[in-house]
Amino acid sequence: MSKESSFVPKGLYPFKTKLIITISLIVVFGFYLLSSIKTESFIVHFFVKLPNVFGLVGDFFPPDWSYVNQVWPKLFETIHIAIIATTIAVIISIPFSLLTANNVTTNSWIYQGMRLILNIIRTIPDIILAVVFVGLFGIGAFSGIIALIIFAVGILVKLMSEVIETIDMNPTEAIRASGGNGLQTISFAIVPQVLPQFISFSLYVFEINIRASLVLGLVGAGGIGQLLNTQINFMNYPAVSTIIIIVFAVVVVIDIISGKLREGLV
Amino acid sequence: MIEFNDVSLVYPNGTEGLKNINVKINEGEFVVIVGLSGAGKSTFIRSINRLVTPTSGSLIVNNEDILKANGKDLRKLRTKIGMIFQSYNLVKRSTVIKNVISGRLGYTGTLKSIMNLFSKEDKLLAYENLKRVNIEEKLYNRADELSGGQQQRVSIARVLTQQPKLILADEPVASLDPPTSHQVMKYLKQINREDKITTIVNLHFIDMAMEYADRIIGMRAGEVVFDGPASEVTEQTFEEIYGRSIRDEDRRGGLEDE
Repeated sequence: MSKESSFVPKGLYPFKTKLIITISLIVVFGFYLLSSIKTESFIVHFFVKLPNVFGLVGDFFPPDWSYVNQVWPKLFETIHIAIIATTIAVIISIPFSLLTANNVTTNSWIYQGMRLILNIIRTIPDIILAVVFVGLFGIGAFSGIIALIIFAVGILVKLMSEVIETIDMNPTEAIRASGGNGLQTISFAIVPQVLPQFISFSLYVFEINIRASLVLGLVGAGGIGQLLNTQINFMNYPAVSTIIIIVFAVVVVIDIISGKLREGLV
Repeated sequence: MIEFNDVSLVYPNGTEGLKNINVKINEGEFVVIVGLSGAGKSTFIRSINRLVTPTSGSLIVNNEDILKANGKDLRKLRTKIGMIFQSYNLVKRSTVIKNVISGRLGYTGTLKSIMNLFSKEDKLLAYENLKRVNIEEKLYNRADELSGGQQQRVSIARVLTQQPKLILADEPVASLDPPTSHQVMKYLKQINREDKITTIVNLHFIDMAMEYADRIIGMRAGEVVFDGPASEVTEQTFEEIYGRSIRDEDRRGGLEDE
């Protein structure tokens, strides 16, 4: 090359891109600082207060194993709440999933209306539902069950309606062409295509319900969470750690079992 | 008997699917509708069982105007019209026998059918029809375990289980290889002969149309441009129907391979 190039690229990215990236970083950092100052929480406090953390953790040990006998009844209550809530939610979600799938519900008013209702339900956190129902029905398992049913229907219908929307619609045409009615088309052409996923999602929702029902107990909606709350308030930390260890073990076991079952299905 | 009287169909987007169709199809005929894709063959065939609804005219099927039927009456009319599809339209995750017995749905109560409570006669009928298309040993296989040709035979058994007076087949061999295509067409022809079931088949292969049809109806741009016995049809006729010269892709071939 005899002739020298007149233009040497300055960088690997155009100036405009670099500017945008720099400004974005400054903006993000600015918001971070502002949030920290406003809430007076700086992440360094975690390290400053670390000795306190170790001190409190020490209170939890050793766990009070004599407390175990008081844990079982409440633990089973939690599992019962999850079983009842999941069963009823599964039944309720069948018609709603069909109404929220745009290939089954071709009337766009019904479809959009159903979607709107379900989107509203899904934006309400489970703990808020529990607080509301504890207020309505009083402290206890029943309020927790109602809260979990609504929470689980929101999740199941969302998952299932999306599965239904992806099915092969050709068999439904064949059933309609042979004189089958709407319900027959659903049970012969749609249900067989979505049943494995439906069972899988139901088990998944059962797992979620077990975990959620632990938290719901904290606001008085029955189950082991209620026991946990009481013991924390009494500062009976060895008992608290017993509860946490048992809950952890049970949740892991249920997750493994339902995970294995779901693997076999899909 | 099927009678199209001035039947027209305009789709919501303005496309004219059918333009003033006047056709009479007699009991027991084996009619092949030919035409290029988009010519209106599918619309023609799907009007007969109202999977699409013509916008004007009258269409008499088994002495009733199917365009006036709705709800329960329409379903009752449809039980007597079997339909075979290009993509077989079986429920892939269901067993072969469940797919075949779904031909009885129009005759079975909703609750009974949802609980899978079919009568002994219905089950026997389903099995006999599987035998007719020589696939009874696949009774409990899932439909998606079968080859394309086998699936199409299952769909023929399903249609037979409806005990129809009329069979519509919308491009039944378009997804199959040449030998299997001939096998499927032979079953259709045999059923037409033995059971005296009026059969209307959409095809775009000219050699298969000439081989199996009693009568050929040619369509182009939503209009019937030819209607006559298969014996009078030559390649020239097809060139007129298609509006272009005949190409290799217009032939299925493969008959000599068997």
